[in-house]
Amino acid sequence: MNPLLSIQDYKAHFYTRRGIVKAVNGITYDVHPGQTLAIVGESGSGKSVSQLSYLGLLPSPPLKITGGQVLFEGNDLLKMGEDQLRKIRGDKISMIFQEPMTSLNPYLKIGSQMIEPLVIHRKKSKKEAWKLATQALERVGLSRPDQAMESYPHEFSGGMRQRVMIAMALTTEPKLLIADEPTTALDVTVQAQILELLKSIQKENEMAMILITHDLGVVAGAADEVVVMYAGRVFETGSVDDIFYRSQHPYTRALLRSTPRLDQLEKELPVIPGSPPDLIAVTEGCPFYDRCSYQKEICKAEFPRESSSGANHKRFCHVEKIS
Amino acid sequence: MSKPQSPILSAQDLTVYYPLRSKGFLRAVDGISLNLYPGEVLGLVGESGCGKSSLGRALMRLHEPTSGTLSVLGTDFLSLKGSKLREFRRNIQMVFQDPYASLNPRMTVSDALSEPLRAHFRLTNQEITKKVAKTLEQVGLTEQARYKYPHEFSGGQRQRIAIARALVLDPKVLIADEPVSSLDVSVQAQVLNLLKEIQKNTGLSMLFISHNLSVVKYISDRIAVMYLGKIVETANRDELFEKPQHPYTQALISAVPIPDPKLERERKRIMLTGELPSAESPPKGCAFHTRCPWVVPRCLEERPKLKEDSSGKRAVACFEVGKRP
Repeated sequence: MNPLLSIQDYKAHFYTRRGIVKAVNGITYDVHPGQTLAIVGESGSGKSVSQLSYLGLLPSPPLKITGGQVLFEGNDLLKMGEDQLRKIRGDKISMIFQEPMTSLNPYLKIGSQMIEPLVIHRKKSKKEAWKLATQALERVGLSRPDQAMESYPHEFSGGMRQRVMIAMALTTEPKLLIADEPTTALDVTVQAQILELLKSIQKENEMAMILITHDLGVVAGAADEVVVMYAGRVFETGSVDDIFYRSQHPYTRALLRSTPRLDQLEKELPVIPGSPPDLIAVTEGCPFYDRCSYQKEICKAEFPRESSSGANHKRFCHVEKIS
Repeated sequence: MSKPQSPILSAQDLTVYYPLRSKGFLRAVDGISLNLYPGEVLGLVGESGCGKSSLGRALMRLHEPTSGTLSVLGTDFLSLKGSKLREFRRNIQMVFQDPYASLNPRMTVSDALSEPLRAHFRLTNQEITKKVAKTLEQVGLTEQARYKYPHEFSGGQRQRIAIARALVLDPKVLIADEPVSSLDVSVQAQVLNLLKEIQKNTGLSMLFISHNLSVVKYISDRIAVMYLGKIVETANRDELFEKPQHPYTQALISAVPIPDPKLERERKRIMLTGELPSAESPPKGCAFHTRCPWVVPRCLEERPKLKEDSSGKRAVACFEVGKRP
């Protein structure tokens, strides 16, 4: 199966007064149709920048894409002009963000925001778009969609707003949905509802999803494939079971161990010493080097090459075998 | 844990109402009774807007409770005024969520830690230096940290400074309001372990407020679950997770994702329908009835009280408890 999206040795850096921030520092992975790929990492790992940058959603300067390819349906998004990109954004590739309140225009009725993608990308008449948008709201579980179309964003709760965002992102039946921390601002009981909704819609439409999150629990429940990022680098990729049960990277392992779990009674949590590095100061070596319990001399000088631990399971680590 | 001790902090029927511009009040804390026993960690868990932070602030008198009583170390805390109040405050200290906001950017670590000591005790400079050094060591910071400013530290280290500042007065009660929520996942465990260790070594009592059930479970001896300004269930940690009794507690526990794909695939969730009602106009009767899978007509009219069971170890506010499988 051809990948829907193929990211190859992609680099995106910020040129700031303090120096070059290597936010995305050479990453490679594929996203297949109908699949959910979770990008997991801490704040500053580059998980959001790695997606927003190639879509032209970050101000440039300071952002500069310094290398690689991002192939969507075989075409390199990095070679496209703003006009071409605009045709894809919000149509074949849709996005939802963490805080739905900041992504919705507070002055416009939900309805007039909902129909926008249909009118612009699909050349529908306003009347027809209104009908389709109302149906979309019904599909995401809003009980009175007609009334919702006539409401303003502030009239909704956080969970409802996120449903509106999802409905809006899906009106054009995108091939790829990029969901950037879609449930982080929501309460857990509402989070469960939204994740369930995304799952069921995805099944219906064969849509691929990139789920950006820092929550390992959400990853375990929602992902097919996982990419683990740290300080602008990919450390490990594989199926969700590869990552959670057969991880061969010291960072992934340590992160899983140091997260308290609801189903376990930990006497003491193993900790990862130190904190994530300043991205201006990162060297050519492995950025996890000084926090790693397996550190070797070579890790300081050189970022490891990709090695394989199974069919689709890849990792970037100099250590041969970790226990 | 020996139970019949008298509590170190005891709130009875505490309320915090915020006046609304429209008219009426937002009942952030709506009649809460809560005991914190010596040497225990009491976890207070609830979703955003349930009033858990308002309760924490009211217990510190950072925000005056609207009504109710509050006794700390046997003293009627709410009646204290002026210098008596100021003096008493050293017994009860707080750590906040955001260490970027809770530390003065113009004060070195040493200044930040010396200030409370100077305010509360007559100490020589030498004694202060010694106490500051000891406290820094206690939270795992090196001696060099004392001359630095907050911006020179990472988020996790800043939270250590905030904890040191709270501990420097040797308080009997520590209120920690979401102390690890703004930290990176790989740093959270460091701060959690630190709080646990300090609690064990000093024997202080801690109220640990968080929306994160997994974190609360790790650190607490006993847990209170809050929903829309009220406590709906309290129990010892293990009992709460093994046999949650309130339907909200059950739904909350079942909604928390667990970092284990196989388990997640097999899990059956209790899906609540509907959203958290607004605290400005909470539902009549039981506040949970709009989302409750067990709702009966009585719940719409009458508010269930938090009732202790025969063991005296757990309390639930629900009419239907014990009647359901």
